[in-house]
Amino acid sequence: MNTFDFFNDNFGRLLVEQGNDPFENAAKALRSSHPLASGKNSRLGSGWAIVKEKNAVVQLKLAATGITYDDRTRFEAIIDALENWDNEPTIFMVFDKAPLPISNLFLTVDLRAVRVCTPGGVYSFDYTLEPTENSPQFYKTLYKQRMKNAS
Amino acid sequence: MEKLTVTAHMKTPFITGGGYMTFDALLAGILFDQLQDVEAAHASVPIKCTDGLFHASAAMYEPLDQSRVAFVANMRADHSLDADLFPRKKDGTMRKMGRLRRRDFGAVMNSYDSKQVDSLEWHVEGDSEEILKLIEPISFIGKRRASGFGEVHRWSIESSELDGLMGYLNEPLRPIPVERFKGNTGSLKVDAAWRPAYWHPANRAICYAPETPQ
Repeated sequence: MNTFDFFNDNFGRLLVEQGNDPFENAAKALRSSHPLASGKNSRLGSGWAIVKEKNAVVQLKLAATGITYDDRTRFEAIIDALENWDNEPTIFMVFDKAPLPISNLFLTVDLRAVRVCTPGGVYSFDYTLEPTENSPQFYKTLYKQRMKNAS
Repeated sequence: MEKLTVTAHMKTPFITGGGYMTFDALLAGILFDQLQDVEAAHASVPIKCTDGLFHASAAMYEPLDQSRVAFVANMRADHSLDADLFPRKKDGTMRKMGRLRRRDFGAVMNSYDSKQVDSLEWHVEGDSEEILKLIEPISFIGKRRASGFGEVHRWSIESSELDGLMGYLNEPLRPIPVERFKGNTGSLKVDAAWRPAYWHPANRAICYAPETPQ
């Protein structure tokens, strides 16, 4: 399975027209402006997205059909997906002002190697373990929130 | 082709930049410097290769210490950028770079994980003489070599029982696509590059990979 085919089949094709180059298709979906439900246009420049087989969930309210919209925070949504992990390939994306480069796009297929893709880099962590001193700050915050939810 | 263990005895901490640092990637980098051709470099790697998969493990090491190091790079836009690279104005004259534009090329900070180790080890199946010829002149490996990181004190090659693909417990020693892996399927599964060029997204697939992400 290729990350970019997975991304385009389950998310990218709902946003942009597909050409012959899967890398260019994915890059176009991540850097282009898309119509919002409000009638305006915006890039994927804030919020988060979780893409699974035939199921893309996004925080930003896009006008595109076939996508589920969810206004939870990034941490709430990612914790929920990881707590209900079904061993199915998933792409976790967190957006920011800069476009997410396709080189930072990775599938997560194992809870022991979760990858959260952001424009600034890829946060990798083992969700089955507590964060260590060297864990990414993102995982430390995620873990704190997870503990708070559990108590 | 023989089964070998290659060891780099390290003098200074090294920086991988997050990759697996497989031995074929290391040799391909050395060959590329000599040949200046990516395809020729990959074809000349003296390691057994089965349908694109090199029998060469990821770098194996035991960190004694780990720390974050940051580097600040300053680009002097007026000095470092070729004016011809900027689009000209409609009338054909050169654009002048104003203060605001110059500020866009200000200081950039990059930080890395630096690891202090005694040695780095790889298991490979390859031609020991050719391998030795390539690695002997190499005195720095990894990233930030020009800053003194990754200095190799000496190299050694010994015979091994492992082929660079699977370990004693049938665990993967390098990223191997799931459909080609014959070992322990309880091993870690990741989306990773399994053949060179490792930086190219087209060479990524769902792989079984070593337990500790390097």
